[in-house]
Amino acid sequence: MREYFNHVKAIVWKDCVTELKTWELFSTMFVFALLVIIIFIFSINLSIVNSYDVGPGILWVAFIFAGTIGLNRSFMLEKENGCLQGLMLTPADRTALYFGKMISNMVFLILMEAMILPLFMIFFNVDLVSHLGPLLIVIFLGTLGFCALGTLLSSLSSHLKTREIMLPILLYPLLVPVVIGCVRMTGEILAGKALATQLKWIGSTACFDIIYIGVSLLTIDHILEE
Amino acid sequence: MVSNPSDQETEIAIDVQGIRKTFGLLEAVRGISFQLKRGEFLTLFGPNGAGKTTLLKILSGLTKPSSGTAVISGYDIVEGNPALRSEIGVISHSACLYEDLTPLENMLFYAKMYSLESPRERSVQVIEEVGLKSRMNDRVHTFSRGMLQRLTIARAIIHNPSILFLDEPYTGLDQHAAILLKEQLAQLHTEGRTVIMTTHDLDRGLEMCDKVAIQVRGKFVCFESGQDLERTSFLQKYFDAVESNK
Repeated sequence: MREYFNHVKAIVWKDCVTELKTWELFSTMFVFALLVIIIFIFSINLSIVNSYDVGPGILWVAFIFAGTIGLNRSFMLEKENGCLQGLMLTPADRTALYFGKMISNMVFLILMEAMILPLFMIFFNVDLVSHLGPLLIVIFLGTLGFCALGTLLSSLSSHLKTREIMLPILLYPLLVPVVIGCVRMTGEILAGKALATQLKWIGSTACFDIIYIGVSLLTIDHILEE
Repeated sequence: MVSNPSDQETEIAIDVQGIRKTFGLLEAVRGISFQLKRGEFLTLFGPNGAGKTTLLKILSGLTKPSSGTAVISGYDIVEGNPALRSEIGVISHSACLYEDLTPLENMLFYAKMYSLESPRERSVQVIEEVGLKSRMNDRVHTFSRGMLQRLTIARAIIHNPSILFLDEPYTGLDQHAAILLKEQLAQLHTEGRTVIMTTHDLDRGLEMCDKVAIQVRGKFVCFESGQDLERTSFLQKYFDAVESNK
């Protein structure tokens, strides 16, 4: 088991070192998310529309669109120079490869989200600080679901020529339950309701997270095999 | 599966029996069988599309065969035992190296993935062995093709495998880099590793081999000892085999 965790840790370490040298993933995701938010600011008249009504949806659209770019790039790094083949030749369990990539994706996405949140707060004039605790829980659950499913599907689509197109087509429909739950919970939290009143949504989002991870663990072996 | 393989002092390192691989209607490997003893060097010749790479992918566990069995160092490849992967080093068409990392970081990563006891020491040692110590902290994307190939060798042997699969390792190398590679392969062979190498280069392929095989359209049409093999007659045999199987 210790060996298993060491393999997961090694993949996360490798991805973080690569990212620290290039800032490729983070900068692309951050700029894209920022652009999405700016486009919405200019397209919505916030003097008529309540920020608390439209804000949660826009925030999650920005996270998910930007995250998709990150997912696409993440597995492309493994395909370049046949690195995925190199990984497959090591004695590491295939699920350790999956968890390693999933955790790396989560780290970069959470960093990007942490940078976007203050900007979102300024642009939409919403108070996130007083709801930060519950909001972080919701963001964690949503990001976990996104990365759990996204990592699996990006490994699947990385074998395809049309990978950039295929990933969102496969990912978004399957991600709908998590997105709905996260947008609803974010809206309610910003409206001042306690997270305890959102148990139904928390439960369903957490359930989908577990299902995504479970399905990934069952199928990753076949997906990674050439 | 052969039980308790680590305790076995068997002479046979690779035992392949009736391996087949189909992709839809295409039969890439058609019932190949052979045996190699420990420390033997097999050079595998064949025209493009003969299924050599597919055969090596099957033997290295990257692709499952459609039928047949292969036992490598006592492990059945079909069962996909992770311990088998520690016994094998592969040099394929791809370098399997991260271009934004340095050689040291690349080797450290693979050392961790192979669960080596002293990853840093082993990484430095293996980089030294391939003569890249002075470039240990430069990013891999600044390397020439020859340097990249040497680093690929380092990656393939970092876990000290007893069996090496080399898929056209001389491709794209200049004369100097090819000579360096040849020296390194000779060194690996003298260390007692079992090697299977595919190549189109008859001279280099025949130099080191103990056994030689010709694969045409997915099957071996020749498998014989490489000792005292006469180049001209082998060349004729190669062309005859390719022509007769067109």
